[in-house]
Amino acid sequence: MNVLTIQGLSKAFGGQKIIDNLNMTVPEGSVFGFIGQNGAGKTTTMKMVLGLLRPNQGEIIVCNEPVHFGQTKTNQYIGYLPDVPEFYDYMTPIRYLALCGEIIGLSKAETYQRGEELLSLVGLGNVKKTIGGFSRGMKQRLGIAQALLTRPKLLICDEPTSALDPVGRKEILDILRKISSTTTVLFSTHILSDVERICDHAALLNQGKIVVGGTLSEIKALHGHESLLLEFPTDDALHTFKSQEAIQPLLDTAEANGKEIILHSQEMEKVQHTVFHVLAETALCPIKIEIMEPSLESLFLEVIK
Amino acid sequence: MNGYAAFLKKELTENMKNYRFLILFAVFLIFGLASPFLAKFMPEILSAVAADMQMGSAPVALDAWEQFYKNISGVGFSAFIILFGSCMSSEYSKGTLVLLVTKGLPRRAVIFAKYTVAAILMTACYWAGFIATYCYTAYLWPGTMLSHVFTAAFYLWLIGFLYLSILLLGCVIFKQTFTSILFTGGIVAVISLLGIVDPLARFNPFLLTSKNVDLISGAASVSEFLMPTVISIAITIIGLWFATILFDGKQL
Repeated sequence: MNVLTIQGLSKAFGGQKIIDNLNMTVPEGSVFGFIGQNGAGKTTTMKMVLGLLRPNQGEIIVCNEPVHFGQTKTNQYIGYLPDVPEFYDYMTPIRYLALCGEIIGLSKAETYQRGEELLSLVGLGNVKKTIGGFSRGMKQRLGIAQALLTRPKLLICDEPTSALDPVGRKEILDILRKISSTTTVLFSTHILSDVERICDHAALLNQGKIVVGGTLSEIKALHGHESLLLEFPTDDALHTFKSQEAIQPLLDTAEANGKEIILHSQEMEKVQHTVFHVLAETALCPIKIEIMEPSLESLFLEVIK
Repeated sequence: MNGYAAFLKKELTENMKNYRFLILFAVFLIFGLASPFLAKFMPEILSAVAADMQMGSAPVALDAWEQFYKNISGVGFSAFIILFGSCMSSEYSKGTLVLLVTKGLPRRAVIFAKYTVAAILMTACYWAGFIATYCYTAYLWPGTMLSHVFTAAFYLWLIGFLYLSILLLGCVIFKQTFTSILFTGGIVAVISLLGIVDPLARFNPFLLTSKNVDLISGAASVSEFLMPTVISIAITIIGLWFATILFDGKQL
């Protein structure tokens, strides 16, 4: 089942199209990375899913119910963490969660119990000071706690790690991974290593459209190719290697850079056989041989070119 | 209803914590006490400063009420509007409402809760000021009997609701505090200007702030206040209604 389905979504601001016929589905139980450059329209899309922005066209379905602008009915299924969550400075974290609990309609006891549980999950269990004295990372963690209070089916996080230092980033990613067993997570980011670290699904937004989407391995298999890097001790050695007849067919797609050569292919094993055969025949000894895994980054750069 | 009650509580706490209520309460109380004091002792102070100045008749209790209406309708309500002018803009600029609205807080609950709290605080401050003037006046001019003292105060109190409704509408339309206050000031100015035009004057809510002393002195009758009261309440409700409608379409 899909928790979120977006069909033919379009949105323009003052004549400029930000989202252009976007289609996307988020399957239940996934950790979904929504990738795009700054200004690609990630936040705009998320705000439309939350009914905070009115789409020009298209349909958004959350848990089999259509989303209407200004209405909050479908938001009962969604927990939302904005990029920079802001709270009321004079409240303590537990008081803020109590306010949220009252709005949702939880009982006092339940709110308190769940609040304590969530605060310790995000590492704010013993924090008694008011939110006014919180760091950005702490606000982000409280943001996750408040988003999870409703036990949402879908947690939407808008660039949860972008503004954080490496320690804060790791903590947030760990929390997201921890909760992914109970909640579908959709998070936008432009940090690709975060996606590779915790996501199983991803979609790449470029110029208002999803240009690549699916499971992470699918994406890599479809759009990536493996590469073999060889580094030789001298230019002559590289030259000799390149002049071998068996290597010629591989050179069309190869990149040479100084004493390095990178061979690209969909059939890496075959390439390896050829290369090792040639190396054995010519008695050439490269100083480095490495198989380069297709990275999201190379894919990303390739796609937005 | 959950959302309304929760947000109401939050608003009450907030107005206590940021000293808004304390400041306003102090302002109204001080003006409540100052009104009879100034009415009673101003002539004496003035004659002490300028010995050759001719004083008119001795001050009476009615002068205290004249001061009260001048101060409260002017300074008191202005202070209220200025301090409450930021009630929405701070939420917009920080984005604090987004989290609560996406949690299912109905947008109109935000407007109603903000209005309710502003109205409660205005009522508390206003009547505290009134009681201060009332008691101090009774002390300074013992035995004076004035009619319609409460009725006259009741009408000015009603205008407070109208001002708050216009202010909230301004706060919903504009994102900045300053423009919201300017909007309220502008609308109030237009209403008071319309009060000068003769055929409209009899219906104008402005009458509720200008003829209170006449009511106490007997120069005006209660029946004159009827139409302006109805119109004032109507504008209050329409203003609030517009505010909720506009807020529904507002980008947070």
